[in-house]
Amino acid sequence: MSKPRYLTAPKISLLVLVNLYCSSGIPSSATIPVLSFILSYSYPSAPSAARAPRSDNRQDASCSIQAFEDVLQSHASNMPGRTLLDVFLKHMWEMNSFDALFDLFDRLGDLIARPREDTTQDEPLQRTYLSQTSPLGALVRRARVEFVRLQFDDAIKLWSAFIAYRAPTAQWTKRLAGLASSGVDIVAADMGLEPSDGLYEVAYGHLSEEEDGGLTLSIDDLERLLDVQLDRLQRLGCRVPDEMKDPLRDMLESSTAAPRQAHLVQFFDAWKAGDYTLAFDTLHRYFDYAMQARERIHYQYALLHMAILQADFGCFGEAIAAINETIATARENQDIHCLNFSLNWLQHMSKAYPKQMKRAGYMGMLGSEKEGLAFLKAKARETRTYNLLSATLLNEAKLCLLTGEPVPRAFEHLYQSSHLNLKEDIGNYSCHMLFQSALFSRLGVTYLSGVYCELLLNAYHHGCPLDECLRATGRRAFLVSNQALQRGRYEEALNFLGSIDPSSHRSLKSHQYIFLCTGLVKLRRAMHRTDWTATDALLSSLKPDSSTDPELSFLLAESRIDCLVARGLYSEAFSTIEELSVTLKEEGADVMQRITILLAKADLFRRSGKPEQGFSVALRAASVSFKARLMPCLWIAVGMLANILNSIAEFNAGARMLHAVIPQALENVDHSVSGTLYSHLGDSYMGLAGVKDPSTPQGARLRATHVSRAEMYIDRARECFKRVENLDGECAQLMKKAIIAKLRGDEQLAEEWAQNHNRVWEEGMGRIGHGDTRV
Amino acid sequence: MATLSQADEAQLKAQLQDAVVSCTERCLYQSAKWAAELLTSLPSADDAGSVTDVDSPMSDAPPPHTPTTVPKDPTELRLEAREAHKYLLAKTYFDCREFDRCAAVFLPSTLPKGSIYAASPPSAKAKTKGKAKLGTPTKPKIVADSTQALSQKSLFLALYAKYIAGEKRMNEDSKMILGPEDGGVTVNQELPGICAILETWFTNLPASGRQPQGWLEYLYGVVLAKGKNETLAMDYFIRSVHRCTFNWGAWQELIGLLGTAEELNQIISRLPQNIMTFIFHVAASQELYQATEQVHSSLTQILSIFPTSAFLKAQRALLHYHTKEFDEAEQIFNNILISEPHRLDNLDNYSNILYVMGMRPKLAFLAQLSSNTDKFRPETCCVIGNYFSLKSEHEKAVMYFRRALILDRTFLSAWTLMGHEFVEMKNTHAAIDSYRRAVDVNRKDYRAWYGLGQTYEVLEMHSYALFYHQRAAALRPYDPKLWMAVGQCFSKVNKVTNAIRAYKRALVAGSYYDAGVGSSFGSGDMSALGGGVLDPEVLYQIALLYERLQDMQECSAYMELVLAQEEGPEYDEATLEIGGGVGVTPTTSKARLWLARWEYMRGMYQRAMELANELCQDGVEVEDAKALVRDIRARIEREKNDSR
Repeated sequence: MSKPRYLTAPKISLLVLVNLYCSSGIPSSATIPVLSFILSYSYPSAPSAARAPRSDNRQDASCSIQAFEDVLQSHASNMPGRTLLDVFLKHMWEMNSFDALFDLFDRLGDLIARPREDTTQDEPLQRTYLSQTSPLGALVRRARVEFVRLQFDDAIKLWSAFIAYRAPTAQWTKRLAGLASSGVDIVAADMGLEPSDGLYEVAYGHLSEEEDGGLTLSIDDLERLLDVQLDRLQRLGCRVPDEMKDPLRDMLESSTAAPRQAHLVQFFDAWKAGDYTLAFDTLHRYFDYAMQARERIHYQYALLHMAILQADFGCFGEAIAAINETIATARENQDIHCLNFSLNWLQHMSKAYPKQMKRAGYMGMLGSEKEGLAFLKAKARETRTYNLLSATLLNEAKLCLLTGEPVPRAFEHLYQSSHLNLKEDIGNYSCHMLFQSALFSRLGVTYLSGVYCELLLNAYHHGCPLDECLRATGRRAFLVSNQALQRGRYEEALNFLGSIDPSSHRSLKSHQYIFLCTGLVKLRRAMHRTDWTATDALLSSLKPDSSTDPELSFLLAESRIDCLVARGLYSEAFSTIEELSVTLKEEGADVMQRITILLAKADLFRRSGKPEQGFSVALRAASVSFKARLMPCLWIAVGMLANILNSIAEFNAGARMLHAVIPQALENVDHSVSGTLYSHLGDSYMGLAGVKDPSTPQGARLRATHVSRAEMYIDRARECFKRVENLDGECAQLMKKAIIAKLRGDEQLAEEWAQNHNRVWEEGMGRIGHGDTRV
Repeated sequence: MATLSQADEAQLKAQLQDAVVSCTERCLYQSAKWAAELLTSLPSADDAGSVTDVDSPMSDAPPPHTPTTVPKDPTELRLEAREAHKYLLAKTYFDCREFDRCAAVFLPSTLPKGSIYAASPPSAKAKTKGKAKLGTPTKPKIVADSTQALSQKSLFLALYAKYIAGEKRMNEDSKMILGPEDGGVTVNQELPGICAILETWFTNLPASGRQPQGWLEYLYGVVLAKGKNETLAMDYFIRSVHRCTFNWGAWQELIGLLGTAEELNQIISRLPQNIMTFIFHVAASQELYQATEQVHSSLTQILSIFPTSAFLKAQRALLHYHTKEFDEAEQIFNNILISEPHRLDNLDNYSNILYVMGMRPKLAFLAQLSSNTDKFRPETCCVIGNYFSLKSEHEKAVMYFRRALILDRTFLSAWTLMGHEFVEMKNTHAAIDSYRRAVDVNRKDYRAWYGLGQTYEVLEMHSYALFYHQRAAALRPYDPKLWMAVGQCFSKVNKVTNAIRAYKRALVAGSYYDAGVGSSFGSGDMSALGGGVLDPEVLYQIALLYERLQDMQECSAYMELVLAQEEGPEYDEATLEIGGGVGVTPTTSKARLWLARWEYMRGMYQRAMELANELCQDGVEVEDAKALVRDIRARIEREKNDSR
């Protein structure tokens, strides 16, 4: 059976309530609950990013008569001894013939306020008049228009549905004197008809067999429902929740003409589920139907969706073909918004997946990246698409960071963009938060970076896409694992990742993302614990492919190199580094990534006993990171330099450099970096101590102070390494302590330290065995 | 007549049963339905079971399937037996609504169209298609031969299918209701062909020595009536009803051809004397608005034979409706509805009654009921349209009337009602168009005539409107409203004496009927008048007309009469609770003012003063009255001064 377009029995009941409200039948104490009840069923709540939507389930589109009872029962009416429900039901049952339904809609017209001059007549003032544009006024007007448009037999259906709808409240009529006699239909009652009569059977016979679920939901309700779903799917990038799936399917099956949106909902769901074929099928179906309803204007959107879908499934060649067609079609149809969006998307893709895009034959449509951005910015200004302008500004800021341009410029762009966001009410807070978090982590203000992530997760997660939520979670997890303020932070990070809403695992992409993040954290932990079997297992399972997030694939590559270096496979590590640096250069990749590679290279040289060769590399890294204000990199680079200086016996210079950076590095609570720095500082002091002539009393005294200082720094370094569970580092520090003790001649202490070392090592190994079961 | 003997009743049953079967065989479904309804409305002899009926001593009547009254012609039986299979094929085609195919079973595919009068060379017999292609002049002969070889039943079926196909095509070609191609432009293309075949068949009849059965006469009559050859058509219909009495379709066509009650009385002598003639007479009288006692009593007689016949009850209700006894009519229709909930026939009339009575909830209920039974019946659409009209949603009403007309272009009441709606919507041209179509469908619809007149009056074409009002008044000579309309037109075209006569006629008619409720028109409602009270409006108009004739004596007399209606005749006081008179109305006040002035001019100041003061008391025309009082006082003063 077909669904009604807009009017349903619950809607009529709402209108009865509105009528009651306007005839001032509602005491002032009940006004607010009644009004909010009416509004909650007649208007979808406006989606707001800043405010969490009400989580109660009252938003279900079909409201039963029970809902009315619940709201109205608790309020007393103007008539003493009667609840509001009594009055409401009286009005409901006073509609005792089909004609009364028509009457109701006639009377509704009187509720709308007239133009000023008419109201001056001496009408009783206790009536409330609705303004044309007020929410209730709009509701009433819409209802009237829909009723006028109704075919007669549809009106009959509506009437029957209404009778069925209010039937559960029949026992109330007994309480209301004078209504009991009229029954369902006063005309039938007047004619002396009984429900068993043939005539009654003709008029109302179908009531009994009609399934009551079907008519309480109109097409309009259904469309609204689907729109809400679509909005969530599109904005948040999640899937249709399980508990919604079955009802939705039932609703769609029960109506003969499924609204077009149903296909779109299915499309997004299939896409997020990673069902490539179904997604394509439904996408085509939706746009086939959409074309029929509207004109050709939607071709470009169909193509755009297709391009994004293709790219999401890693088919970059097809995606580029589709997006080119999109751009051409959008140009032809003069759809500026679509055009700009496609260009922006293309720009974004070429930056995010440069390798894949190049391989797919993308040559760059807008010249260099900068030119592209400038073009988009100009276009956005021209067409006043502030959305795009804000996004482009943000991209520009990102570009500044990536190419190592001055940070203030990036900030400038950022603030311009957020100004636009505020002024034009653009809702891409999540992008901003993420970017700011990244920015501060680059500047070495880790705490702030973490705060932004948390802000996003706690305050904005209702309104921001699932992807970005995940990204924030991932970043937060990394930060936590790096900070390692105390033992067990890895667990915290893993818990953090594990606590992500299980529903996000239902989307393929996010599942992959979460998996990689978890794997990376685990990998780091295993490396720090020198658990090589676990490392190997994790590394083999964490192979990135072409559709993986580029950021993550770099992190993976870095971890791989770290691992190779830590295990002493230097030549292999070197070749990997070389390979990586070549590709990074080709892609014109992020400055930070390139510096990281440089540092890895310098470290490799240092470890392989060629510090001189590493010197220039480390120096270059230090200078570049200083220019780009990449503080964490700078500190590592300086540490590296100091180490090299130490190894060529320039202990003083090394110590001075380390003293210069250590305070800053401490601010940034990356313990593994500060541990390394401290350990280098200890080395420098030991070197200095070695340089001093022990024969002179002054020299001996100096040596003693240097040694004790070295010991102090070594202790600190040990503390840091212990926190990050870096077994190697901790043991090395213990060894150093033992050697120092030996140097002093304190054999017993040395023995103690050595035993300490062995114990820690044993413990670490034990932890691996223990941890293996947990991995 | 009141009671039938058992034998008569059994025979009647047998005849009706035979009529149902033969009508069904010829695909005259409406007639078959009518006969079957009538058959079942006979009181069954014994409710305990029909088994005893057969065994009872009275069942000497022949069994139903071999009726004695219609002896089968052996020639026909032989022919029918010969083509039994082909007949079955044709019948199934007809039932599947493949009319052309049905016709082609018995008739050659190419029928002559209009070339029938061409000379026919002696080309011979065979009805093969090869021969038929020789040329048009040969065809008539061939066709004549081929039709002669057919049984009457098959020939009727074939021609009737052809006729129906033509009607269908005509409807399709007419396209939109009230569109450019609607309304008499398109005609049934098959008519000349059918006409030619039947003509030759009937000319060859005496020679062929076959007994006519009445069916072909009926079809020929229909075709002739369509061709406006009405006297001949009536002849054939009368021939038809002599042969097969129980074909209600033929009777209906006959009713359609009657214009006035005189015509009815003329043909009644030519009709067979049986029960069908009685029913016909009642139905025709009803259609002609002859709601006399005599008709009522004969209807009562027939109803005693068929006590449960909804058709007859509806006739009774319609008679009441015509005499504006709405309560009785409503009651009867209500009972019909309860006893037969799925019956939609005449519900449009019922909805008219409810409309006039202003019973909106009930009208809505009726609409709901009929819509639940069948949305796509013209009656249903009319009921819904009436409901919307009562709610003053004229656009929607027109929509539903239009739908009714799409379903059946000859649905009379929809045309008229649509005309009313167009008048309400001030679309006079469309209104004229619709009324005209209604009149074309049925010349006896006085409401359409009256509507036409009114519409032309709106267009200020009074002398033109006069014609229509006269037609309407001729159809219902006892309806004061129509006479008033005539009088109004006359007065507008300055034919004052004629106007006065018309108004006086209206007065007579008004006192003849004690019309209780206003007419079915939204406009021109008459206030409820008790019996014996003359319409003050009419009186006032007459007075004004006399004033125009400078006949002040008559004029003032009529004005006094108007005033007299305020109280009403005394003898009514006892019986009527309304109080008899009309009370103070604008009309009587105007009359009073006129009289006051008149008396003032005549110098009867005392009376003038009285009247003016009464006016002031009633609170109408106070300003004029006060001014008049002042003048009178001044005059009286002056006269006093003069006299002193």
